[in-house]
Amino acid sequence: MKILVALKRVADPDNANKVKIPASGEKIDTTGLEWKPNPFDEYALEAALRLTENGTQPKVRAGEVVVVTFGPKETETTLRAALATGADRAIRVDASDDKLDGDLVARALKALVEKEKPDVVLMGKQAVDGDSNQVGQILAELLDWPMATFAATIREEAGALLVGREVDGGVSTLRVKLPAVVTVDLRIVAPTSVYSTKTPSTHKYNDGVRFAALPAIMAAKKKPLVEVKLADLAPDQALKVSYHGFAAPPARKAGIKVKDVSELVSKLKNEAKVL
Amino acid sequence: MTALPEGFFEAVARDFPADFLSVDPSDLATFGRDWTKVHEPRPAAVALPRTTDEVSRLLQLCTAFQVPIVPSGGRTGLAAGAVAAKGEVVVSLSRMRRMNAVDVLGATVRVQAGAVTEEVHRHVAEHGLTWPVDFASKGSSQVGGNIATNAGGVKVIRYGLTRQWVLGLEVVLASGEVLELGGALEKNNTGIDLRQLFIGSEGTLGIITEATLKLTRLPGKLDVLLFAVPNLAGVLALFKEARTGPFVITAYEFFTEKCMARVRRHRSVREPLSAPSDYYVLLEVERAEPEALEAWIGSLFERGVVTDGTLAQHAGEAAAIWALREGISESLSATGMPHKNDIALPIQDLEGFCAELESVFEARYPGWEIALFGHIGDGNLHVNVMKPDAMEKAAFLARTHEADHTMFELVRKYRGSISAEHGIGLLKKDYLGYSRSGTEIEIMRAIKQALDPLGIMNPGKVF
Repeated sequence: MKILVALKRVADPDNANKVKIPASGEKIDTTGLEWKPNPFDEYALEAALRLTENGTQPKVRAGEVVVVTFGPKETETTLRAALATGADRAIRVDASDDKLDGDLVARALKALVEKEKPDVVLMGKQAVDGDSNQVGQILAELLDWPMATFAATIREEAGALLVGREVDGGVSTLRVKLPAVVTVDLRIVAPTSVYSTKTPSTHKYNDGVRFAALPAIMAAKKKPLVEVKLADLAPDQALKVSYHGFAAPPARKAGIKVKDVSELVSKLKNEAKVL
Repeated sequence: MTALPEGFFEAVARDFPADFLSVDPSDLATFGRDWTKVHEPRPAAVALPRTTDEVSRLLQLCTAFQVPIVPSGGRTGLAAGAVAAKGEVVVSLSRMRRMNAVDVLGATVRVQAGAVTEEVHRHVAEHGLTWPVDFASKGSSQVGGNIATNAGGVKVIRYGLTRQWVLGLEVVLASGEVLELGGALEKNNTGIDLRQLFIGSEGTLGIITEATLKLTRLPGKLDVLLFAVPNLAGVLALFKEARTGPFVITAYEFFTEKCMARVRRHRSVREPLSAPSDYYVLLEVERAEPEALEAWIGSLFERGVVTDGTLAQHAGEAAAIWALREGISESLSATGMPHKNDIALPIQDLEGFCAELESVFEARYPGWEIALFGHIGDGNLHVNVMKPDAMEKAAFLARTHEADHTMFELVRKYRGSISAEHGIGLLKKDYLGYSRSGTEIEIMRAIKQALDPLGIMNPGKVF
């Protein structure tokens, strides 16, 4: 199976430098930020690796995992990390962060999919910076492919994927014929969430995303990473979304201590008005 | 509640605010002990001063009434130094957490003793500075307690113990007299440095109420690596390699699979390596040239020094790797009852010592679970003997007490220390003689007598 995984980098919330917004509110000040892969995209990469291996022999890749990101040169760090984790090769679509929106990314991805011809396109259900939740859906529409969003489980079948989606009141299961677009939710990295046809059903994965092994980190330097011009994939670079202003959320007020339960209840009733 | 001398409560009620003293049973239980769970907490009361003046007036009163006191910080100690089990008055510094403005030019900050370590870190980080005293309990531990115990931690290999990072102290003696020792001076060669006496004194000489801390620049970017090595000799072999590696080491920690298994039982763990290993090494370095670091790593694999490993790809992964190491102490206590030993050896003797230690384990604890971890770069081993589930606590304590003598004989043979960084407190008091001579202990007692003639300061601790 050949899988294309779309990865976006986002500001790392674990880093001391936080996102800053200048007084003008025109745009986000990204100076000094450290970056990490969007967690849901990391989960998509983990799912792609599980789908292209026998879980008992994770060092052998059965199929191909190609990772793609949109951004300036420094986003190659994110791609190298993905290669170290197990992806076979990487594509960077050269672009400027503030000249992209979900529609443009989906159109460019469509052109890339037509060139690469993957069986599956996997990505996170959304990126944790913009929280737009659009690219997967738009891409499936443009390609006219089957789509499963918010995947919590994936089981490979011959020519199809059985995708479990957590919905209100239960799990909805979809069978999507390949090729297809699948976006993943956080439970996709649970120990028994993803099975390729090669992985025995008794196998349990470690919880979460795998770390890159040191030898693989070094070998990743030699894996292919190519740069593609955005214009070659999407000649029309007009954006449909324009941002008119940014503002920080209001600062949280300090908490208070209550003496007893009755004071708590009274405050919840009369001040917070939640009871 | 143990009785205090008649008139003491009345005097406190007359001279101090209404919320100054608590005899609430839950406060007594909370403030009466540290992270050790060996002694039942039985303080008579908990005093919660807000100012140095209140501490001073309280101690005058305690001297007048001959009331013993136990100074109390974040109570994260592991030697029962902050335990009040005999009707003492606990003096908690937790309300005294003021932090003054950072002196950026001098790289110092003056704080009250109750300031929490992590809050100090945050306070000074805005100026690109840090107080490099760092350990797993930094979210609760307080500056005063850190200084009184000369705390160590995970960055000692780079920065040394707390002692290195204290310029000045304000101390209240048992008499209530307030002393200012050292000030904010880096250089001050004016006779015996009394400030040093209080650092590591475990509350036996006075109460530290304020400190001027020495700061240093925040380190640049750090790389966090985790390695799998086959055995303890492998941990030491890798340390030799790291010592000459192309970087500055900021932490070199090791732990065993037994520790990891306890962490897994206590919290969810993101597995760092594809397969478990008997021994792990966490190496943190100031970010080096990537090519040089990789050449170094490559050579480790080629020569079989390590069998597996990973390098954190971003801050979140680095935090996940650190969480494994920092979760050990908590996980051991949450999933069982550990008997803790915190020993230090000269680094060149670690290998010989550890080989002999194995035979102590086999003789004294056949088949028991022993969770070993530590700051091996400082020669510091944490030996945690886990109580077998079926064994009674009293039998367990008797057994470990006896075995400690055997282990400490070995420590003495190799000229090590029976308490590397946890201190002596109540737990290690019987063993002080393994690391300090009779004359040394006599000198300690003489100093105590000079500063605390009535013996009301943390009585019964250390010596």
